[in-house]
This record gives sequence, C-alpha cells and structure tokens, in this order.
Amino acid sequence: MNGHDFDVIVVGAGHAGCEAALAAARLGAETLLLTINISTIALMPCNPSIGGPGKGHLVREIGVLGGEMASCIDETCVQMKWLNTSKGPAVRSRRAQADKFLYRQRMTKTLFNTTKLHVRQAQVTDIIAKNGVISGVRIETGLVFNCRKLIITSGTYLNSRIILGRATWESGPHNQRPAKGLSESLIANGIRLRRLQTATPPRILKSSVDCSKMKELPGDQDSGGFLWENRRRNYDKQISCWLTFTDERSVNAVRRNMSESPLKLANITNVGPKHCPSIDRKIINFPDQITHQIFVEPEGWESQELYLQGLTTGMPPYAQQEIVASVPGLENAVILRYGYAIEYDAMAPGQFKKTLESRIVSGLYTAGQLNGTSGYEEAAAQGLIAGINAVLALQGREPYWPSRTQSYIGVLVDDLSTWEKPEPYRITPGHAEFRLKLRDDSAEKRLLNDAAAIGLVKSERLDAIRQWVSRIESEIARLSGIKIQPSGDTRTKLAETGTGDLKKTISATELLQRPSMNYQNLHGFFPEDQKLELHAPDEIFNLETEIRYQGYADREDQRIRQTELLEKIRLPLSLADDRLQALSSQARETIFSNRFDDLSQAVRKNCLSRGELAILLAVLNLATKDENEPEVAQ
Amino acid sequence: MYKNGVDTIVAASTPPGKAALSLIRLSGPESFELLKRIFKKGGKKSFPLPYSAYYGSLIDPDDGSTVDKVVLTSFVAPNSFTGENTVEISCHGNPVLVSRILAILIKAGARAAEPGEFTRRAFINGKLDLLEVEAVAQLLSAESMSQARLALNQLNGLPSQRVAAFRAQILHHLVQLEASLNFPEDAIEAIDEHRLGHELKIIRRELRIFAESARHGNMVAGGLKIALLGRPNSGKSSLMNYMLGRDRAIVTEVAGTTRDTLEESMQIGSMPVKIIDTAGLRKPGDRIEALGIERTRQAIADSFALIGVFDGSQPATEEDLAILAELKLQQKPFLCVRNKIDLVQRLDPDFFVGLNGVGVSALQRTGLSGLIDELTIILQKSGLENLEKMVLLGAQQQNALDRALAAVDRVCEGIGQIYQDMLAIELEDAVRELGRVNGETVEVNTLDLIFERFCIGK
Ligand SMILES: Cc1cc2nc3c(=O)[nH]c(=O)nc-3n(C[C@H](O)[C@H](O)[C@H](O)COP(=O)(O)OP(=O)(O)OC[C@H]3O[C@@H](n4cnc5c(N)ncnc54)[C@H](O)[C@@H]3O)c2cc1C
Ligand SMILES: Nc1nc2c(ncn2[C@@H]2O[C@H](COP(=O)(O)OP(=O)(O)O)[C@@H](O)[C@H]2O)c(=O)[nH]1
Ligand SMILES: [Mg+2]
Repeated sequence: MNGHDFDVIVVGAGHAGCEAALAAARLGAETLLLTINISTIALMPCNPSIGGPGKGHLVREIGVLGGEMASCIDETCVQMKWLNTSKGPAVRSRRAQADKFLYRQRMTKTLFNTTKLHVRQAQVTDIIAKNGVISGVRIETGLVFNCRKLIITSGTYLNSRIILGRATWESGPHNQRPAKGLSESLIANGIRLRRLQTATPPRILKSSVDCSKMKELPGDQDSGGFLWENRRRNYDKQISCWLTFTDERSVNAVRRNMSESPLKLANITNVGPKHCPSIDRKIINFPDQITHQIFVEPEGWESQELYLQGLTTGMPPYAQQEIVASVPGLENAVILRYGYAIEYDAMAPGQFKKTLESRIVSGLYTAGQLNGTSGYEEAAAQGLIAGINAVLALQGREPYWPSRTQSYIGVLVDDLSTWEKPEPYRITPGHAEFRLKLRDDSAEKRLLNDAAAIGLVKSERLDAIRQWVSRIESEIARLSGIKIQPSGDTRTKLAETGTGDLKKTISATELLQRPSMNYQNLHGFFPEDQKLELHAPDEIFNLETEIRYQGYADREDQRIRQTELLEKIRLPLSLADDRLQALSSQARETIFSNRFDDLSQAVRKNCLSRGELAILLAVLNLATKDENEPEVAQ
Repeated sequence: MYKNGVDTIVAASTPPGKAALSLIRLSGPESFELLKRIFKKGGKKSFPLPYSAYYGSLIDPDDGSTVDKVVLTSFVAPNSFTGENTVEISCHGNPVLVSRILAILIKAGARAAEPGEFTRRAFINGKLDLLEVEAVAQLLSAESMSQARLALNQLNGLPSQRVAAFRAQILHHLVQLEASLNFPEDAIEAIDEHRLGHELKIIRRELRIFAESARHGNMVAGGLKIALLGRPNSGKSSLMNYMLGRDRAIVTEVAGTTRDTLEESMQIGSMPVKIIDTAGLRKPGDRIEALGIERTRQAIADSFALIGVFDGSQPATEEDLAILAELKLQQKPFLCVRNKIDLVQRLDPDFFVGLNGVGVSALQRTGLSGLIDELTIILQKSGLENLEKMVLLGAQQQNALDRALAAVDRVCEGIGQIYQDMLAIELEDAVRELGRVNGETVEVNTLDLIFERFCIGK
C-alpha cells in the first residue's frame, strides 16, 4: 500500500462519513476519509439536538452495533431528557441537546485517533470506475486515489445553492464550499440525481433574549445516556431550553412579507422535508393556526448562539428581523446568523440496495443526506451500514442486511432502498410496523447477535451486555415459574394494591401484567423463600416492559415471522421453472430484475398479488399450509 | 386478439332458452374495431360514442348475408361495467341465432368468456370492490326475491360504504393518537383517553349491529335453515315431504332409517328456507348412528329455527321429553308439531301447552297451512325480513370484521389500563381488518395523514 492506494475511501466527514470511516477502519480496512474542510468535521448545520422518537432509537442501535454517535453525544450534550414517557415504552425515547462545538471536536479527535484511518482535506471531483466497478477518486488538484470500495456521503453539498429571499449564491451549508464536479461525474457513470431542498432558522444572541416571557424546559438528570455503558449516567449539570409561542403579530409579520418568501418567488426547488416546513409554509398550509411553538435552544455550553426551532425560513433578512421580533421574549433579539434555505443534489429513488451499495456501479456505496434522508441520526445509521458492508464485501463475507423486524436501522435502509416519494425521508415510529418489539429498552437484546457477527464491538463489551441481558431474561423465566395462589392473605394484599381479585393460581409474570402491579410490590406476593433478584432501575424497567408487552409480542411474532420468511427470499431469483409462467409478466419482471433486494419489498410495494405470491412460494417449496403462510398486505 | 395483454371476450348474458330478446355482451380493447367489421349501422351517428345505441344489421363476413337486425349499445372505457370498451348487442331471442352471432364474433377475434370473467375484469379495473363482486355472483344465483334484494344492497355499495365509514372513523382516532406518539414536541393536543373511550364505544355499538346484520344477511343468502327434530317414526321424513310437496325423504316404519341429514329448499313468503330432516338424538346403537347424531347436533347449531315433531298417536316417551327439553334449551325460535292427528290421540293433550304448537297429519296431508302460518310469524318476529340494511359478507370478510371488532373491544377494555402505544397498535389492527373487509388497501398510512392534519415541524 503506497500513499495513493486504499481499501476504502470515504468522501465527506459529515455524520454519515464519520461513522462509515470509523467502521471501515475499525474492521481493519485501510481507510481514507476525504472532506472539503477539516475544520468542520461532524458539523451540525441545523438543530443542536440528537434523538427523539425513531431517531433516538437509531442512536441506541448505532451504540449497540459499535458506531460512534451514541457515545459522542453522551459525552458532549448540554441537556438530556426523556420524551413520551407516559405514552408507552415503545415510543419512549431520549433526546439530547448537543454542544455543537464539543461534538465536532470529540468526533474529530476520535477520527484522528483511529488506526488505519487517514483523514485528508480535499474535494473529490470525480469517481473512477472501470467496467462498472469502482476503482478510485480524483480530487480537485487532479490527484487520484485508488480504492476497492468507495463510500460517498456528500450531504447537502452537491452543487448546493443557498437561497435567502431573492438573493442566492452557490454554497454549502453555513457558507461552506459547495462540491462541484462530483454530481456530473456520478451522472456520467449512470447514476441519476434529483434536486432537494431544506432550510434552517436564524440564530440569535443569547444575551438579547428575555427568558421571563418564556417557559423553561429543563432536562432529566437521571435520564442516562444512549450508550449502554451510560444507561445509569447522571447528568447533574444541564442547560435548559425555552419555549415561547407565536401570536397574531408573528402570523401578520409572515403574511406581510410573504411575497418575498422563496415559496412565492419560486426560486427554489419545492421538495423539502415534510416534517420541518418553514414558518412561511406553515402559515400557508395552516392559515387558521395562530400559535406555533418556538423552542429556543442553546448551541453549547460556551456558545453565545441560540437556535430558534420553529422559525425555519429562507425569507430575506429584514423579514426575518420582523418575524423574530414579533415573538414574545424575542422582541429585542439580535440575529447573529440569518436562516436560509439550501438546495442540493441527491440520489433519485431506486438506485441502491439495503446494503447501501449502488445497483449501478459495483463497489460504490452512498449514505446520508445524499440518499434522500434528512437528519443527523439517519445519516449516521446509514454511514455505519455502508462502512460495515464495504468491509464485509472486501473480506468476501456475506453482506449485513439489517431486517426491519429487528431494528429501526433495518426499517430505515429497507424503506430507503424502495422510497419513491418526492420528499426526504425521516424516521419515526410510524415507519416501524413492529415497533412494540423495536423499543428503546430492547436495543441490546435485539442487536447483540448482529453486533457479535459484524465484529465492531470488543468481546469484553459484548460479554458485559450479554450478562446484563441474560440476568433480566433469567429473572423473567424465574418469575414465570413462581405460582401465586389465591389465598386469603394474597387477596387482601391485592385489594390493598388496588388490583382485581384472584380466582385461580397464576404465575408472577401474569400478576405483573396487571396495570397496578410493579416489580417491587410483586415481592409481597412471593412465597417466603423467594426474593427479587434485580435492583437496577434499567433492568427492572426492561423486565417490566418485556412482561407487559408479552401478549402483544406473541401476536406481533406471527407477522414478524411472515416478514422474515419473505425477507429471506433474495431477489433477483435465478430459477427456471415452467410453472412460473403462471405469474403475470409484471410479477415475473419483478422477481427476475434487480429492482428489489428481497421478496418482502416486492410484496410491500404491491408488485405481486396474493395469488401470485402463493404460486411463487409453492414453486419455491416454501408454502406451508398453516398460519405461517404470509399474508399479503393489499 | 390481444392489446396490451388483454383480449376481447364475448358471451350471451341472458340465460339460454327462448325469450323475446337476447343480450350478447362484448368487452375488451378491440370491441369496437371488431364490431365495425361486421355491423352495418343505420343513421348518421358515428360509432362508438359513450352510452349510445345504434340500430343496424349484423353481417356474416363469410357470405355478406345479414344475420339479424340488432340494437347495439356502446360503452366507452372506463365508463362501462367492466371498465373496458364494451358493446351490448340486443338481438332476437332465438338460441340458434344467438349461437350463430357468437360464432361470428369469435371468428372475428373475440374469445368466449369464462364464467365470471366480466365480473373479474370489472374488479381488476376497479369498477367493483370485493363485496360487489360477491354480490354479482349472488344476484346471478338468487333463488328468491329476498336474496335478490340482498344482492342489490351489495351492488348499491351499502356494506362497502358502511365499512368505509367505520374505517374512516377509527382511522381518524388513530391518526390523532399517532401524531401525538410520533411528534411529542409538536404541540399536538394530549389524547383525552376518556373521550377516546367514549367515542370508540359508540363505534363499537354500531359495528356490532353491522356485524349482526351481516350474519343475518348470510343466513338469508344461504337460505334460513329449519331443522326437524323428533324421535324415530314420529313422522319427520313424512312431514318434510309434505312441506316440500314432493317426496324427498324416505319414509319407513323401521325406526332409525334416516341416518343422514337431508336438506331441501322451499320458500315461505318471500324468504328462502332450507328444511333439514335429521336422524334424531337417540342414544347411538352403532357407529353409523353415532355419526347421524353428530350431524343432527350440527344441524341444530346451524339452524335458525327448530320444529319438534311428536307422534300424537302414542303417549310421550322419554325420548319425546328429551326432545322437548332440547327445544327449550336452544335459544332459537321453535314450533311443536303434533303429527298423525288422523289416528286416535294418545299423546297428552297438554304435552306442549303454552308453547307454539300445531297439529298435522303428514300422511293425510292436512294442517300444512297452520304450520306455515306459525313459521311465517316466527320469520316476521326475527326481523330477518327487514332487508333494507342487511348485508352479505364472505367467510373471509366476516372473519376480518370479527377481528376488527375484537381489536375495537381491546381498545375499549384497554383504555386507562394499557399504554397508548398499545392502543395505537389495536386501532391500527382494526383499520387494517376493516380494509380487508372491503378489499380496499390494507396498508395503514398514518404518517401522510398526520402531515395533512397537523402542523408538524421545527
Ligand atoms: C440548512 C440545513 C437545514 C437542515 N435542517 C434539518 C432539519 O431541520 N432536520 C434535520 O433532521 N436535518 C436537517 N438538516 C440535515 C442535516 O444537517 C443532515 O441530515 C445531516 O447533516 C446529513 O449528514 P450527512 O453526513 O449526510 O451530510 P453532511 O453533514 O452534510 O456532511 C457532508 C460532508 O461531506 C463533505 N463533502 C461533500 N461533498 C464532498 C466532496 N465532493 N468531496 C469531499 N467532501 C465532500 C462535506 O464537506 C461534509 O463534511 C439540515 C441541513 C442543512 C444544511
Ligand atoms: N297415520 C299416520 N301415519 C304417519 C303419519 N306421518 C307418518 N306416518 C307413518 O309413520 C311412519 C314413520 O314415518 P317417517 O316419516 O319415516 O318417520 P321419521 O322416522 O320421523 O322420519 C311411517 O310408516 C309413516 O307412514 C301421519 O300423519 N299419520
Ligand atoms: Mg326419517
């Protein structure tokens, strides 16, 4: 290996690129990470927060599989809190406020401290492929680097353009240099691109804000962190966020200036993320709504900037000034950076597999915002998968196909590889049909085997987590063996606990399924010689949740098995059987072309009818007569 | 003759036999082109126009002779029953003529339709939903007025509309709940579980009524079953023959001959009814008899009403008493028949006093009108003649409806007891299953709906 040859090259050191490069190097590949500006590694160009329902689940899973985001945010957050605690464990999730500066610093340091990982500042202008197989990249200066696998994570930088009212200029986020040339090179290699848009709100000077008019939103000290090791971590020092609301004045300010909104000027691509509409779009789409919440969030311990979640806009500076000043508490706010919209090139749908490898150029992987997602967590998760799969391929090992029945990461890559909607993709629990299983607290249990197989996690760590999991599992097994008789004593205690009477003997787990019961007060019903084995709150929470969801898990299991069965049938099929002539030509086209990774995708996309699936399964000798027969969602 | 993989099909749509007029239907992309070659229209109106009738001659292309003077009606896709280009040919009602026209059309490139193929095409082209397809099948095989009426309800989309309405209502609540679960920071009003419970209980009540009317619908569509119960030799088989007005059941003097159940259709008023002759409930003497008794049990379970048959010429035996008890035990309408009133009566005159009873002689064929009157009253009381709201569901759909109801039940019971994330899963289940009843899309896409309804965003 000389200075120009690498196993893996990663283009871009955003959230996807950092994970990809770390995973590749840690798995033993000689890895080169090229990025436009070494000073802005792991930049968070938008909100200073990581987590929330769906996104927080991704971060937990990244942590279990051996990615970096979970530990990085745990170490650098200024606030950590639980969301959705009252609505149920399946949608419960952590959210962290990041110190953007510290996050970058820590990630940068981690990259530089990783052996086999080489970080260089350079702008990549071309990919080099021979006969549809990737072989390297060319950078701006004309220099060529060779590689066997290439991972592009160019985020919002490809031919990017900032829009601020009528003003527009070529630029990456935060006036970073845009990436020129790479789009054209991708297109020349047969890859189709599309144009997407996103935007960010203004940042204001901390000392110019009147907090007395806003509601304080502190964090949770005992929330623990995302990484398993940090689950009991106490965050005693935190900074609060603040909440304020728009009123008529704000709505009027937006309306007064509406003609200067990029939406009206039509000087912008109109496909942005559905979940972060600009304030102008909100006023257009929901004309009757006067109060919109504005979260005022710190950007770090030392940062003098505050982020105004809810006031995203690409309207001109004077309009932003008027709108911000109309909000209670922000009357005298000084805007430090104006909000802006940004437009960039992203992959058109249907060009990469669940492994994130291109269907067009072999050895090329793409991850992050380039793949049509939005969000740091989505980017990081993809980066991890791309990094892992690039190395697995190098080593001649089976690719890692995360299943949507096992993880949010699985849901993410599965959805993305078949995503056809115009707007960017953001993960939420609504995308995960098996979300009662894919809980925040079950991340370790779900992914431990995958983590072990991939090899990013050290064996000591795997063992420690495994012990934790099995301690809880054996306690559940023990509880289901403990019988509780409907004796007089028991019944009195039940009445005291406020739960219904007992008519027959039941197990302790069954008793625990009753709403007013919990693990601690279970003890009172035990025979003399039995004690409670668990004491840590995280273990108890996991145990209680597992037991309470048992009935649902059983029902879900059946559908999970059906999905797994279909996921195991990889497409395209190479199977010559006359009986397949019975399928429609569309169905045959579906299973013999490389449009999908597996049968589950084809079925979910309605490319096979119920009858056709039955025929196919019969031919594949997989059809079973009982309830295992997959149900087709049509 | 294919166009985009679809060929053009033809069939006579009036039943074979002599009628004044016959209807031949042609459907498929080539319908019009095909007819242009063999139809000489009168008048100036251009062919084909949507929903237009044309008078003219059908020509045999082989010899140029006129086969018949016909009226054509053209339906231009997608505005036709099948959703394809369709032509209806009204010709004279002569079977020989009809088959000749069919032969000409097939020679010109059409293919003889398979049974149900028009309906299948209509379904594929989105012109009918699953329930309507079933209705067409039912309508074609309707044996009575009430069955036809039921099928019409289906075709008018009554059940589809109702199911769609239920689905929409539940979906509304689901979207609300999902919005709050997925976007906790977006100022979406907290879920008022008490109100949710209240509203779902209303939906549940309506759904239950609907499920009941579907059960009734299926009973009517299949013919209401009425089982004859009685000890051997009481005259069940004779009574059945008498009711049917023809000999179907074998009448013997050896007790226990009828080992199998026998089912025959008749009509009472406008209602289709199926009379079931049973083997009795006597302790089995051998395996075949045991089998017969099992079948009797099944017949009782399937029946909508029961008729007890007692031999008036004999004093009541233990078996008679057992049968009377059985009648009272089943929570179904029933009628007691004193048979053999032509003979000297030894059965206690008060044997079924206070219960619905009639006397007949199955042998002499007297007393039928009294029996029919009583049955008519039973049918009227059942509310089954109230056909306006009755609907039909196939077995799979009935199951899906039951599963939807069970899910709604779990929501109603679970409120205040289980987490909202579980409630959402149950609601989703209900929506999915209701979608299955209608054959609508089953995928529950709440996210798009959330964005339509709520202002989500940072
Ligand atoms: C204005 C704005 C608003 C946003 N708003 C939101 C929001 O509201 N919610 C949300 O969830 N997400 C938002 N995002 C998205 C979020 O920032 C991204 O999803 C996330 O950063 C994507 O990570 P990434 O790794 O894919 O790309 P990025 O973080 O964009 O990183 C890309 C990296 O690639 C490098 N690079 C690009 N091209 C080349 C090249 N040719 N050669 C070398 N290096 C290259 C860049 O220098 C950069 O380091 C916003 C982004 C922007 C810019
Ligand atoms: N006299 C008289 N004999 C009858 C009457 N009904 C049935 N029977 C006779 O009773 C016997 C048994 O009749 P059957 O219909 O086979 O009884 P089942 O065993 O209940 O089906 C036969 O010999 C019939 O002819 C009736 O009304 N009057
Ligand atoms: Mg008989």
